[in-house]
Amino acid sequence: MTEVLICCGSGGVGKTTSSAALAVRLAQQGRRVVVLTIDPARRLADALGLAGESNVAIPVPLADGSLHAMMLDPKRTFDEVVTRFAPNAEAAARILGNHVYQQASSRLAGAHEYMAMEKLHEIVETGRWDVVVLDTPPTRHALDFLRAPERMANLMDEGVMRWLVLPASRGGWRMIERGSEILAGILQRLVGERTITDIAEFFIAFQSLWDGFRERSVQVRGLLRAPTTRFLLVTTAAPTARAEALEFLELLLADQLPFGGFLVNRCASAPQSSGVPRFGAVPGAEGTVAALQELPERQRRLVAAQESAIAALVAQAPRGASVWRLPEVGAALHDLADLTDFARALPDPAELLQPR
Amino acid sequence: MLVRDGRVVLITGKGGVGKTTIAAALALGVARNGRRVLLCETAGSTAVPRLFGRLSKGYEPVELAPGLWTMSITSAAAIEDYVVQQIKFRKLYHMVFRNRVMGPFLDAVPGLHDLIQLGAVWDMERKRERGRPVWDLIVVDAPATGHGLTMLHAPRAMMDLTVAGAFHDNAELIAGLFEDPGRTSILLASLPEELPVNETLQLHAGLGPLRPMVRGVILNEVHPGPVPDPPFYRSHRRALAEGANDAGLEALALADAGLARTAAQDQARVRLSALGVPLVDLPFLYRRDLGPELLLQLAAPLEVL
Repeated sequence: MTEVLICCGSGGVGKTTSSAALAVRLAQQGRRVVVLTIDPARRLADALGLAGESNVAIPVPLADGSLHAMMLDPKRTFDEVVTRFAPNAEAAARILGNHVYQQASSRLAGAHEYMAMEKLHEIVETGRWDVVVLDTPPTRHALDFLRAPERMANLMDEGVMRWLVLPASRGGWRMIERGSEILAGILQRLVGERTITDIAEFFIAFQSLWDGFRERSVQVRGLLRAPTTRFLLVTTAAPTARAEALEFLELLLADQLPFGGFLVNRCASAPQSSGVPRFGAVPGAEGTVAALQELPERQRRLVAAQESAIAALVAQAPRGASVWRLPEVGAALHDLADLTDFARALPDPAELLQPR
Repeated sequence: MLVRDGRVVLITGKGGVGKTTIAAALALGVARNGRRVLLCETAGSTAVPRLFGRLSKGYEPVELAPGLWTMSITSAAAIEDYVVQQIKFRKLYHMVFRNRVMGPFLDAVPGLHDLIQLGAVWDMERKRERGRPVWDLIVVDAPATGHGLTMLHAPRAMMDLTVAGAFHDNAELIAGLFEDPGRTSILLASLPEELPVNETLQLHAGLGPLRPMVRGVILNEVHPGPVPDPPFYRSHRRALAEGANDAGLEALALADAGLARTAAQDQARVRLSALGVPLVDLPFLYRRDLGPELLLQLAAPLEVL
């Protein structure tokens, strides 16, 4: 069975880098790994040095392991899904050309997220990989992403369909008018007649895809709660990042999604030596020496704040949540060599894969 | 004109860079100067009351500190408010729009959720009491980059989509406020690091015609330099290391790491200065929890806006 690790968290915490480092580390341990980013900002491309190609798994030239990376183009995935579920080319073309569809597939909040789940499902189904690492969009957006399958299922609820589609032969909008004059009047006043026609046509054209879609969104919901799936929260010890991590954790637990642990990025480590720092004698260096002598104490305060922050996070999590610390890297990781070196020095992530 | 002298300030930026903290610090600072400020969270987020040790989750504004009020906008509550205003009857709204048939239908109108949240802000802006605005300033903690852009472009998107009807006309009114640089400003929140800066530059480009509304970039969590005179330190590092004890060597390593960070911060500033708007640094705080006192510390540097 393919293990699914879903890395969630806010963007400023180095989530993409952590996801990539985790994927590299797992690959270095001999697993076949694919890392998938659904972030429209395409940050994984920056970290892995991948160029433009989307929606296909590209082999990452790793010296010591098997790793693929994929960037998701949500609009293209949506089009692919429509084409796959449509009964024939004509039906697909009708949907792809619909005004509301075009707006919805590229702009609707949640559409990106739904399509990410779709792609994730597709990848798991191939059975080609041992582990999928999914890098999700920043926190608040990710709330949409968790709800996306539900929302899509609601949209396809038969209530809407029965109402809109049954008399489809008589044409969309007209039939709504017959269905209820009042509703139609209100809707028309709100969004204008053309939009209603477009929406009705969209629903009608989508009718042929409904069963496929609904079945799929049920499967995706199942995948999110499968015993092989774990949600990992990427965060730093900084107060802003933690607040968002906690918000996200609450949501995961409320939805009974399987929580695996925290990836705490940018962890500082405390100085090893105690005692007052002493330096070689340099004339005129009093100010510099005084500042230097402050640094270990400043670092200790930082680490103390960090560790109590991590403890506060763990206290909110279900028992047995693991914490995977990633050290601070001075500048960003620029290329694959940086990333593999960084990953090699990381702790064994096996605990993140342990069955709960 | 200062950002705080306008009517609305929208704060967006990469997720996790501290948008909420920045919004709260700005709002608290303005309220401290005796003005009535409304701080709006979007997409149902309720982090602001927590910063003040409160647990409010409401759509109704609540007062957190003298002059500082907050509300959490959810699209569901905003849609109800809006549609009820349009059709006049709340009962009819519940019958029609929250039933299984119409609810999803309304959800399917692209961009409606985002537009309607801006609509709620617009509605707050125009509230008057005895001819005076109820709110001197409204600060909006907008969603992160991608979603934030979708929201800021929502009025135009809705106008393109609908062409006519009440949604179109309202979108036009809402666009009127949010596209008026005399009343609305956008602040971009970022961190002084490479990837967040990349995203800030992309976000700015993505704003398209809204770019003139950007009135500042806030760099959060800026670390202080490790030594007072970096060139002096560099030229004497070797001598300092000779005869240093173990603690001394560790201190030097910390200084080196700190200087690398300072260099990265400086580079971030250079890249962001290309946007031609003021950059405001907020210090990294060596503290575990944020509260009103720390927010006031952060409010001080924001006073230039």
